[in-house]
Amino acid sequence: MDNGAANPIIVCENVKKWFGDFQALRGVTTSVAEGEVVVVIGPSGSGKSTFIRCINRLEQHQEGRIVVAGIELTSDVRNIERIRSEVGMVFQQFNLFPHLTVMQNITLAQVWVRKRSRSDAEERAMALLERVGIPEQAAKYPGQLSGGQQQRVAIARSLAMDPQIMLFDEPTSALDPEMIKEVLEVMQELAGTGMTIVAVTHEMGFAREVANRIVLFDEGQIVEEGPPSEFFANPRHPRTKMFLSQILSH
Amino acid sequence: MANRPSLASPTRPPLWRNATFLKWAAQIGVLFGVLALGSVLVGEAMANMRAQGLALDWDLLTDPPGIQLGEGIFIKPSTGLEAFYTGAVNMLRVALSGIVAATVVGVIVGIARLSSNWLASRLASVFVESFRNIPVLVQVVFWFFFASTFFPVLEEDSSGPIPGVLLVSRKGVSFAWPFPQETFWQWGAFLVAGLLTARWAYRTRMRRAEELGEDTRPGTWALLAFLAWAVVGWFAHPLAGAIGWLFMLLAASVGAIPVLAYQVILALISLYLGWRWINRFLDSRRSPAGLAKLTDDDYFRMILAGALGAGGAAVLMLLPAATEVGTNVVQYLLEFCDQKFEFLRSGAPLAIGTPSVDVPGRFPQIASTGLTMTPSFFGIWMGVTLYTASFIAEIVRGGILSVPKGQSEAGYALGLRRGQLLRMVILPQAFRVILPPLGNQYLNLSKNTSLGIAVAFPEMVQVGQTMFNQTGDTIQVILIWMAFYLSISLLISVLINYYNRRTQLVER
Repeated sequence: MDNGAANPIIVCENVKKWFGDFQALRGVTTSVAEGEVVVVIGPSGSGKSTFIRCINRLEQHQEGRIVVAGIELTSDVRNIERIRSEVGMVFQQFNLFPHLTVMQNITLAQVWVRKRSRSDAEERAMALLERVGIPEQAAKYPGQLSGGQQQRVAIARSLAMDPQIMLFDEPTSALDPEMIKEVLEVMQELAGTGMTIVAVTHEMGFAREVANRIVLFDEGQIVEEGPPSEFFANPRHPRTKMFLSQILSH
Repeated sequence: MANRPSLASPTRPPLWRNATFLKWAAQIGVLFGVLALGSVLVGEAMANMRAQGLALDWDLLTDPPGIQLGEGIFIKPSTGLEAFYTGAVNMLRVALSGIVAATVVGVIVGIARLSSNWLASRLASVFVESFRNIPVLVQVVFWFFFASTFFPVLEEDSSGPIPGVLLVSRKGVSFAWPFPQETFWQWGAFLVAGLLTARWAYRTRMRRAEELGEDTRPGTWALLAFLAWAVVGWFAHPLAGAIGWLFMLLAASVGAIPVLAYQVILALISLYLGWRWINRFLDSRRSPAGLAKLTDDDYFRMILAGALGAGGAAVLMLLPAATEVGTNVVQYLLEFCDQKFEFLRSGAPLAIGTPSVDVPGRFPQIASTGLTMTPSFFGIWMGVTLYTASFIAEIVRGGILSVPKGQSEAGYALGLRRGQLLRMVILPQAFRVILPPLGNQYLNLSKNTSLGIAVAFPEMVQVGQTMFNQTGDTIQVILIWMAFYLSISLLISVLINYYNRRTQLVER
């Protein structure tokens, strides 16, 4: 599985990105295999969020190539739309639509992007709500749910589009400790089904148990990557050792 | 142990320190204070007017005003009431068409200002900064002079930029318009039936869509149902004239029932409304755990509601005249409707009038065959519309910016296109931020129509001023103005508040 050479579904070659004068990505090269679970870690400002936001074009990279599910990300609008429909994304702040019920949140894009009938979409939504464990909340509004429940709805909303890849951008960072567990359980179950996952997270327990590979970002570059057993047991790079000592010391 | 304050038998505070008593005294005090102040002011005003020999009579409404108005339903009104009616209708024409136009322009400009298209956003900024920074009065006068100076002179053979459709001249802008004819209401009955059928068809097809799980095109079905009624009605409307008999029958039966019966029914309704308000209020304070502790305010509101209900009933019973006026109005409306329907009366319900020129004397005039905007109407309409549109554009822009960036990111990540995102995610959320200040702009636009006086547009203020120049009844005219603008403004407020409540987000 190392470096996902088997059957790459995401390929990044020398990806660079600037915000004004600040270079957020300084040439990122990696690939992710189908069914692989990659956890991206790193200090804040290291470019890890920018990196996964480039994968579905929420940020536009300026140099290098990104190929997702065989489609290259260019300024071709059709390519962007096709990639976005293959890639689901879960955000730190949930970003549910507050004016729609949980059910409407999950069916909206199914109906308008996937062109499903409303009843098919609702059936799919209900099945996903069962899967994330909150079928009884379907008629409520996001504002009436707890953070953990909202994040599970957000996961169901992404899964409803039947994506090949799921991106998680710090999905548990805005949650209380007891809610983190319920979200991680859903993510773990998802990884078990063979979904390709790229997750930015600080949950080292999740990284250790679920990830196939851990990628450490610093200053816009990949410093070290490898399977969790190796990564945690004998890190090679001094930057990795320092980062691990900081996050594992408490 | 010794320091703990005693919980047993709290001492009753004296009356002047008792919070409950003070609150009640304040409520009742304010109520009587307001009533007393009002009656003193009115009494003083009446006494002063009597001393000056001014009588607060309403003869001006029934006397011939001897004035001529620039445009409107009654150009030479035979009573003051007709003059005010003309002014009110003119004002509403400007206000309603201005509100619609200002909203459309404002929303487009507001969205354009946020556009990533550089030229569009620059142009929108120039629009906003120009129109909101020039006093509305100057703009009104500008558009009036623009129309009456830069538009082409009306000649006998003028036919405008688009012959038969649009005629632009210094005497006004006239365009083709479908005018309702005397059979319009008969056709209108079919249109109403069409709307109801369309609603039913839409719902049935929607339910069917949910059962079958396929697109059953409810919108198309609803539209076809409506069009079918409209087309059939166009030819079959003489039959709908039979509805006239129904109105006649209703009008006759309204007159046949004695006033006392209406009084008793209305009084009972008034009592019931008070009782229902109290009941609902108590329900809203009730949870599965039981009735919440009521505050003094709550008691005051319940007593006030009950008193209003009982007071309304008493007034209705003691003043039969009030009820009589009500039944007369209803009867008049029914008779009015009756005249609009006549069995087997035929003719096209709509006729398209095209702009044309008329030469009644030495000078050509725009004929009344098309829908015509006079230079006065053009001036006040353009002035208030563009001025308000610039504010609405800023409100729309602020509303859209108030929706967090994460919302569009989530929408894009799901594969929604820009237009879909705007329509289904951003605008519905921006709407609830936009609505309250938008209502203020509608109120401003309505009240700014009173600047029509500057370009001799006969709206309420211009008519009123002409009236009191003739009769000297200043106080009456001012009271009519206040009552008119207050009712229009309150109506708009009520509508906006209603929609505001409906679009509130549900929170925990």
